[in-house]
Order: sequence, then structure tokens, then C-alpha cells
Amino acid sequence: MVRFKHFVAASAALATLGTLAACAPDSGAKNGANGGGVFTTVDANNPITPGAPMNPYSPNGNTFLSYNSMRLGFEKKNPMDANDAFPGLAKSWEIKGDTLVAHMQPDAKWSDGKPVTVEDIKMSMAIALTQGTASVGSGQLSEGLNVASVTAVGKHDIEFKQAAGTNNANFAKQILGQSIVPKSVYGHLVPADIWDTIAASQQVDAAQAKAAQAAVDKLNETGKAIAAFAPKKDVSAGPFVVKRVNPGSAILVRNKYFYDLGKIAPSQVVIRHYSGNEQIWGFMKNGDLDAAPFTAIPTNVLNQILAKGYKRADGTSYVNASIAFNQSKAPYDKKEVRQALAYILDREAITKVGQPVGGMASTAPAGMIRKSTEQWLGADEVGKLNPYAHDEAKATELLKGAGLKQKGGKWYLANGKQWKITLQTVNGFSDWIAASTVVANELTAFGIETKPALSADFGAYQTDMAAEKFDVGWWLTAVGADPRQNFQRLYGESDGFVANGDKVTHTEKKGDGNWMHGDETFTVDGQSINPGQLTASLAGLDTEAKKPVITQLVKATNQEVPVIPMWDYTNVKFTYDKNFTNWPKNGQDAILANQPGVWMMQGYIQAKGK
Amino acid sequence: MTTATLTKPPRPADAPSARRSRWTGIRRVLTRKPGRIIGLSILVFFVLMGTFGPMVYGDQLAIDPDAIYQSPSAEHWLGTDFAGSDVLQATVVGSRYVLLTCSLAALFASTIGTTVGLLAGFHRGLSDSALMRVTDFVLTVPGLPLLVVLTTMWKFDSPLEMGFVLGVVGWGGIARAVRSQALSLRERGFLEAARGLGLPSRHIIVRELLPNIAPYVAMHLLLSVIGFVEAQVGLFFLGIVPFTSTNWGVMINQAVFSGGALQSPEAIFYLLAPLTCILLLIMGVVLFLDAIDELFNPRLRER
Repeated sequence: MVRFKHFVAASAALATLGTLAACAPDSGAKNGANGGGVFTTVDANNPITPGAPMNPYSPNGNTFLSYNSMRLGFEKKNPMDANDAFPGLAKSWEIKGDTLVAHMQPDAKWSDGKPVTVEDIKMSMAIALTQGTASVGSGQLSEGLNVASVTAVGKHDIEFKQAAGTNNANFAKQILGQSIVPKSVYGHLVPADIWDTIAASQQVDAAQAKAAQAAVDKLNETGKAIAAFAPKKDVSAGPFVVKRVNPGSAILVRNKYFYDLGKIAPSQVVIRHYSGNEQIWGFMKNGDLDAAPFTAIPTNVLNQILAKGYKRADGTSYVNASIAFNQSKAPYDKKEVRQALAYILDREAITKVGQPVGGMASTAPAGMIRKSTEQWLGADEVGKLNPYAHDEAKATELLKGAGLKQKGGKWYLANGKQWKITLQTVNGFSDWIAASTVVANELTAFGIETKPALSADFGAYQTDMAAEKFDVGWWLTAVGADPRQNFQRLYGESDGFVANGDKVTHTEKKGDGNWMHGDETFTVDGQSINPGQLTASLAGLDTEAKKPVITQLVKATNQEVPVIPMWDYTNVKFTYDKNFTNWPKNGQDAILANQPGVWMMQGYIQAKGK
Repeated sequence: MTTATLTKPPRPADAPSARRSRWTGIRRVLTRKPGRIIGLSILVFFVLMGTFGPMVYGDQLAIDPDAIYQSPSAEHWLGTDFAGSDVLQATVVGSRYVLLTCSLAALFASTIGTTVGLLAGFHRGLSDSALMRVTDFVLTVPGLPLLVVLTTMWKFDSPLEMGFVLGVVGWGGIARAVRSQALSLRERGFLEAARGLGLPSRHIIVRELLPNIAPYVAMHLLLSVIGFVEAQVGLFFLGIVPFTSTNWGVMINQAVFSGGALQSPEAIFYLLAPLTCILLLIMGVVLFLDAIDELFNPRLRER
């Protein structure tokens, strides 16, 4: 019995040691070849999922962009040029009409020592089209990934051709932004005739529509098998490769075959798991993270993090938080009502409560963030936009003009019912929730009884929103640096506009995804415009040609107020000068828009004292 | 333990003195231990808070974006919250929903549980089996996960809705306990006499059986209040029911997940205010239960 007890104790001790060893970074990781040690961070888009495959196509895959998951390039989020990117596996590239020629990094190798080949790139593009991005007649699509062929045109040069009839000005961005995976690992999952299937899916001939749909279905089936695939070990062309994934962290070690190894200081990267923002705050308060992504954070916690020694680097975030309406429901079908609400809400006060650290109060409804609007329109035109500054008298006048009545301090709809608003928001979105309290307070004080309500999660929220269960709710708008993407949030599928090439259709049918129900055309400056058509046209225009179209769309948005923007987010990154130095600084928008792996590839993050 | 329900009612002339002696007895029971008076005082305090608090303060909290997470001061005794609203005001206003919900839930659970338990225990046989299988089903249904699912369909805007749902999923325990009591009592002489007199079942259950288990039900009702306070605050804390910044559960949620109360001292009063109220409320119930126990159990009074 005593012997058994000793055995149990010894086993427990060994198990404990084993667990500790599994959780700790590798010994010897302290001083890498470049003087670096362990770089610890969290991946904002990818908390660790134990047991999930090391596969970038898996929804919860344990691959981490810019560390062990590589692309040809990394988008700079330049609002004036969507194709602007940092080099990745492609050293440089040229855009010639409907063709992109990428010049590959000559020394690019996988972590198993094999070179990155044209075949890997070609297969990766085919796989990208199996992940739900293929569609019938995609040759006509003016957006999305519409690559028709990938060909070697030199030892390290690859030509990507757009599908016939496509006019996609953002073709390079689409190509550069795809995950590149090794053929030696994924090749057996991809049918040999996949490019024939892709060609069949891109048929624009109406007579071939059935065959095209069959091809799309076949691609999607292949895609499912690829997404479920679990490689036995990670094979990476990035600066790091996954060594193991623990429930609490993923340990990545430097890929000794990485083409630009000299720039990579850390010998290891530890990516910590988190389940909520407050955990990330806790990590930083303890000084555990070398760099941390943006999280909603209260000022009191921010002050503690800064006191610990963290520095914040602010970049532009191309997204704003807005309140959107179902414009088919009274009284939101009247633009005067939406305008009145914009006048009632004090966006400065709402931002102070909702997003005190990572938000700037919106200045005017425009469909884009303030910085993009200024870049595209110029200061003079921006100055002409209506800012809808807090003005309750103006709101009262507009509401009365729209047929609403005020009795005993409350507002009543034209049908005599009291106007009550349920402002829908999402559980876990602490900034929206806090801001909803102020919105509800301001509207209720004005006489419009408003209550916030929570959806369980964002997935359920989106589904319910599409099913038109909410009249008023929070929504992310101005998403992305590209103005076309921005206006698609307002005049795209959720507003009933479907673009296929130059042809834009508008649907009001239930179940077709149109929950905003804005008008198909507006009159702006005496001219009738179709916002869906204008938005779709941006895909094929160069920078100069885009400007007048964007101006029209901004003016239309400012007049119609389909959403009331509350704040532009700020891309706040935190860095800790304990183990590493040379971090990106405030205002370096392009680099801050990317993950620290890209910072390293660009020469940032060096070992301290090196 | 048998009561005098079959005995002659007291003469009207005796009524004032009987009432006087009952109040004297209650007063004596309450003052026997200081904890009982404290418990009662806490409960009265919360009832007054829930009844008159929202009248004094008003439902609408004043916000001040320039005074977020302020420390306690003469102006804000418990500091301010994430929107610069007064934490004391939020706590007081929020008490009404919590108290109403848990009271209604306890009432629903006790009513359903007592009815089912009495019917099953008195009738026995097939109805007993059927009712107990239903009770077993209710007992095996996991209450909180079920409520989480229900919140996807039901908005729980009013305390009545929340109280009803909590009560409907929470009556199983009391039904089982009341059934046991009823099974025991139905063999007592006074009930056999009632049956022998040919009194209808309804009369026997309502007039003979129910008064005898009423003290037990009353105690269970008070005890269940604790569970219902925790359940509904928990639902709001999880953030799955309508958001209102004056709800105690929402306050805890906001303090932890938005205010960083576990990371930073600034928001600590915002966290502690609702937590202390919940703790005090539960303590009040537990302390007062001791008095209830003695009031309904004369043998305890003799010690």
C-alpha cells in the first residue's frame, strides 16, 4: 500500500512536471541567433482552439497569420489604393490590365526545407476558390476572387489572369490576400482537374448555367474536405512554425528556412489563449505580453496598463460603429425621422462612454470614416456636409414635419401609438452595450422611450437582423479601407442591391437579405442616383474616376442617413519594451494594420540591446 | 402538531385578546435572538427600498460622461458607473425588479408545488404516480440552461414574466416535500375523522391538510427566494436577458467585463454595491427563517 502511494506520488509529480513543461516556452529559447527570446502575444482573431487542425481553411484552425500562415502580400489598408501591400511570399508585383505578375521571394522555403513553388501558389489559388468564393459566371463579377489561371512566366515569376469579362480593380488585393499552403501537404485533397472545374464555374453563357452551378457545387464539396483536413504537423513558409498547441497557448518556433530570417529576432512566439477582453487586460497588467491587439478597454484599466510600462500606438481603423434602421418600418421609412435622431444623439457623449479609449466621435454621416472622407473629398467638400450636431430644436421641427406628435413630453407616431424604440445590441460587445445606455437615456429624455436589448451572440444577431427582427440596432459600417467595401455595407446586399459585373439589380423581397430597405434611388443635388449602381461601379474605376462617384455617395449618405455613425474606431496596439524594442509608432497606419509577424518581416521588433 | 380546525371557532368576544396574545407571541419569538430582528429589519429595508426607491429616484438614471467610475463622494455616496450614473441610485432602483421577480417566482413555485404535492399525497395511487413523474421531469430539467434557451424566445421585460418562468421550473422540490408531509398527515386521526364524516376531498385538502403544512410551505417559500435571487441575477450577469443598467446582475456584469473591477480599484464600488445587496438580502432571509421556524413550531418555543 505504501509502495502504491509512492508510485502515485511519483506519477503525480511527473505528470505535474510534464504539464508545466508543456505550458512553458522551450528552454534555450531565451537567446536566439538574433538575440531574441520569447515573444508573447495574443491573436485577436484567433484564440487557441485545442484539438483544432493546423489548417488555415478550418474555421477554428490553429494557424496564425503572419507567423506560420503566409500570403503573397499583406494589405496596407491604403484607402486610395486597395492593391497597396507589404511584400510577403511575393517580393514585388506588377498589375498589367487584367493580369498580375508576382515576383516570388527567390529563397522562399517551407519549414521542411522544400522550396515554395509555382505549383504551391497555383494549388492555393484553386483551394481559395473552393472555400465558398466560387460562383456561377464569376467571370462577370467585378469583385471577389475571379482568377482564371496561374502560370509560371519565369523562374520566380507567376502570372495570374482574371476571368474573361471581369473588370475588378482590386484583383491584386484579392490574389495577394490568399493563404498559401504546401502542395506536399494539401495536394492529395485537390482533384487533378480542379482548374477545368473552375473554368466551368466561370462560364458566363446562360446555356451553360447548369453546368456552371454543378462546377460550383463540386468546388464547394472539395472545399469542405479541405477545411476539415488536419495535417499531422505544421509546414509553414512564414517566419515561425507551430511546435505544439496547448489549451492555454500555442508555441511557435522560428522557421530556420524562412527567406528573411535575419530580420526575425524572437526565437519563439507564444500565442496565448483568451476568452474575454478582461483576460487580455490581466495579461498586460502582469506584463506578460510583448504586444497586444486592440480590445475595448475602460480608461481606468488603460491607465494601469500604461503605468505598467506599455506604450500605445494608434493607427487608423477603417470601421465605425453605427445605429442602423429597418427603413421599411415606420417611422424609420422617413428620412426626416432618421435625420432627427441624428440631431438628438450627442455623439461626443456617447463615444466617451462607449469607446473612451479606442473611438473618435463621428463628425458627419458619410458612409466612410472621417479620415477616408477627407482624403477622397477634400476639406472643402467635407465642410459642406451636414454634421447633424446635437440640436433638439431642429429634431423637434423635423419630427413634427414628418407627422409625429408630441404630447406630455412623449412622442407619438402618426397612427397615434407612442413611439418606443428597442435598441438591439450584442452580448459581449461592451462598447455597444455601454453606449446603448447613453443612447437610451438621451432618446428617453427627449420623449422617445428607448430600451436596449441584447442578442446572445453576433452570429444570432446577424441572422435575426437579416430576418428583419429588429427595427433599430447597432451595425459596423465603413468597414475596410476600400470605399467600395464601405458603401457596400450601406448599398449592398443588406440594402437589396446585387451586383453582377456592370449589372445591378435591386430586390425588396423578404428572405433576399435586404433588411435595410433603403430607397432604390435618391435625388441628390437635383440629380437622381442609384446608390447600388454607383457602389458597384467603383470596382472597375481608377483613383481619379472614383472621386466624383464617391462624392455623390457621401452626399447621398449624408442626406438620407441610412445609419447614424457614432464613432470611428482607433486601431490601438500595445507594445511593451521589456524584451524587444523598435516598435511601430503612432500614425504608422499601414504597419499597425497588420499583425506583429508582418512587423518583424518589415524589420521591426528587435531584441533589446542588439 | 394537529390543529384545531375541526374544533369550535373562538367566540367573537375572545378575538381581541387572542389577537393580542398572538402578537405578543410573535414579538417574543422575534426578540428572543437579536439575529431575528436584524433579519426582519433587512427584509423590511429591502421591501421599502423596492417600493419607494424608484419613486424617490425615478427610473431614468442621470448620466455624466465626464464623471465615469468616480470614487465615492458627498455627491455620489457609492461612486459612479460606466456612464457616470450614480451607483447608489442604480442599486436602489434596481432592487424593485429583483425583489418582485424573486417574490413572484417563490409564489408561483410554492403554489404549483404545494398543489401538486397535496393532490399526490392525499389521493395516492394513479394520480400520485402521474404527478410525481411530472415532478421528476421538472426536477431533472436543468433550470439555468433551460432559462438560457428560453431567453432566445422570451424577452423577460417584466418581473412577472421572469418570476413566472423561474417559478414554473422551480416547483419540483417543494412538490416532493409537500407530498411527503401529506402522506404522513393523511393517516392522522383528524383526517380519518374528516373522511369518516364524509367531507369532500376538496374540503379536506384545503381546510384540513393545507393549514397543517402551511408553516412548512412558508419556510420553503422564503428559502426558495434565495435560489431565485441567485438565478435571476445570474441570468442578467450572463448578459442573456434584456439589458437595463439598473439591474443588479447587469451591474455586476458591467463592472467585471466593461469596467475592469477585478483589475482596477476605480470600479470596485460599482461591483460591491449589488453584491453587498444580494448578500444582505440572503442574510436577511436566513436570519428571519429562524424566527419563522419557531413561530410555526411551538415545540421550539418551549426550549
